Amino acid sequence: MSTGAPDILWMRLSARVVWVDIAVSILSLSPGILAIWVTGGDLSPGVLWPLVAVAAFGVTGAIGDILRWAFTTYRVTGTDIERRTGVFVRQHRTIHRDRVRSVDTAAKLRHRVTGLRVVTVGAGQQAGAGESALILDALSKADAEALRARLLTERTGDVVDASAPQENTEEAEVFATFRPWWVIYNMFSIWAYLMAAGLLWGGYWLVSSFGVDVFGVVARLADWEALGWVGITIAALVGGGIVGAVGLGVSFLFGYWRFELARVTFEQGSHLRTRRGLFSLREVNRDESRMRGLSIGEPLLWRWMGMADTNVLTTGLNVWDPQEPAAILPRGPVTVARDVASKLFGRENPFEAPLTRHPRAALRRRLWWATGLSAIAPLALAFPAAWAVVPPWVPVATLAVWPIALLAAFIAFRALGHTISGDYVVIRAGLLSRTTSALRRDAVSTIAVRQSVLQRRLGLCTVSTMTAAGWSAYEAPDISAQHAVDFAKDAAPGVLDEFLTSPGQRG
Amino acid sequence: MRMRPPALRVERRAIAWWMLRNIIATGIPLAALTISSIIWEPARVWLIAPMIAFAVILVAKVALEPWWRYRVHRWEITERATYASMGWIVVEWRVAPTTRIQTVDAVRGPLEQLFGLSTLRVTTASSYGAISIRGLDRRTAEEAATRLAVVAELSEGDAT
Repeated sequence: MSTGAPDILWMRLSARVVWVDIAVSILSLSPGILAIWVTGGDLSPGVLWPLVAVAAFGVTGAIGDILRWAFTTYRVTGTDIERRTGVFVRQHRTIHRDRVRSVDTAAKLRHRVTGLRVVTVGAGQQAGAGESALILDALSKADAEALRARLLTERTGDVVDASAPQENTEEAEVFATFRPWWVIYNMFSIWAYLMAAGLLWGGYWLVSSFGVDVFGVVARLADWEALGWVGITIAALVGGGIVGAVGLGVSFLFGYWRFELARVTFEQGSHLRTRRGLFSLREVNRDESRMRGLSIGEPLLWRWMGMADTNVLTTGLNVWDPQEPAAILPRGPVTVARDVASKLFGRENPFEAPLTRHPRAALRRRLWWATGLSAIAPLALAFPAAWAVVPPWVPVATLAVWPIALLAAFIAFRALGHTISGDYVVIRAGLLSRTTSALRRDAVSTIAVRQSVLQRRLGLCTVSTMTAAGWSAYEAPDISAQHAVDFAKDAAPGVLDEFLTSPGQRG
Repeated sequence: MRMRPPALRVERRAIAWWMLRNIIATGIPLAALTISSIIWEPARVWLIAPMIAFAVILVAKVALEPWWRYRVHRWEITERATYASMGWIVVEWRVAPTTRIQTVDAVRGPLEQLFGLSTLRVTTASSYGAISIRGLDRRTAEEAATRLAVVAELSEGDAT
């Protein structure tokens, strides 16, 4: 290998991975064996095949995993972390330690039982470009902890001596801890129905593999004939909703049990660390020197109960990651989110700065758009209705969307706000989720001022601040045209100066 | 306070390029609709409305958009920043400081090559923050790209 440190040994993943795999393959065979034992081998093909599939899937997965273990080695040199893996296609990945932005440890139940940790080394990879983080699955708990400490706290280029004891100079300042009643905030979501569908299907399959006639049981539960279609639909929606909500609640409690958000300070810098999980543990460390701001989103339907999503704006964390590494708090009360913001920013908290309201013209623009969009369906249906293809009340009925759209326009207008507070540009916007984002002004890498024909008539401009962090672009829609350039100039200090003219000059 | 327009116009040839591009993009669906309405008579009633819509769009995109764009599209590269205005119905002014530039490319599509034009694409660390200056002369774009690359490489850090 062409690395500058040939003398550093390549290390293997923990040998316990192999034992876990053997256990997994035995476990995946067990439902089949159990079902055969209970029913005396009298299984219908509809039940038998899923069991065979589970067994085959589990065993091949485990064998593949053992092969992966055998062919994977890694090492940490003074400047790089390297991993070699792959059975048929050998892969050698090197990440420069300067580029390491996060080292996360996670453990599923099987890892916790055996004292293993999955380590994910993130280096600002772009998921869109097909890059992935470097994952070591899995190391022993002690090795994982040592690796994390080394990669995050030790300066690169230092003399490498893996055997030297790690000096623990970490200091943790706890910002927020788990409150069980936050479960209420995480039970109600449209995903509840997906959850319910999954749970009910799983339950049905499990029970019917033991020969229980589920449809018969459900049919005897109520007098379905008397309820009619409307009643059955409502019963299904309510029943599914309850099952799903309970499922979401339980999964939240399992996932976020003992949640803790803390700022960990050590010699070279500080991290925002979250830890959570009852059976599966997950710890995420976010380098504060890579943080560019914070955003608090308040979903429209739940604003009355003060629900908020809190995310850090940081470079190198993927916003599309389903594990939401940028979320430093679970969905919870907005008061907690604001409290964390004030602890995070200290005295100069941009979330306390009063926001400048946007001009009434911004409301007019939204009302025009709402009207225009609501007009599409009635107009499109007008011709079929005129030719009696569609009953004439249909285009009239679609007009009912109009007042809702106007109301939405008003709510969206009320959400607008912007200001400059210290080092931060603060923008609040959004209909479905009113999101307040504070972005560090020195992190703005492109600034754009946009004006459509309608905006020009109304004297409005949209200012976008683009950055490498978070969602990449944060927009302040519909600032009055006179103030837009001033705001843009302050949002990215010094960038616009040479392109400005005062209003007196021709420009 | 207001922003002055960038100093330089794009090439006049760009008008022809935009025109040809729009004829291809809108003309092909229109031609397809027309042909199918000739061949397939029962569907003719349903195809009239989309055909009229596409015809109106085609006229606007050929007679209006290229000229309008030519008036709007301007650009300027200084020591400290890249500044460009673009668009027609929606006009946008973009500024990226040179210190934040990550890549500079001169890109030429097949149609652009026909007119000897080139697009200068300046990207920053933000995935939305790229500035594309279209309709430049091939040589101008290459020179600008080289010059910018030299200036941008002087900056330290990873520009995030």
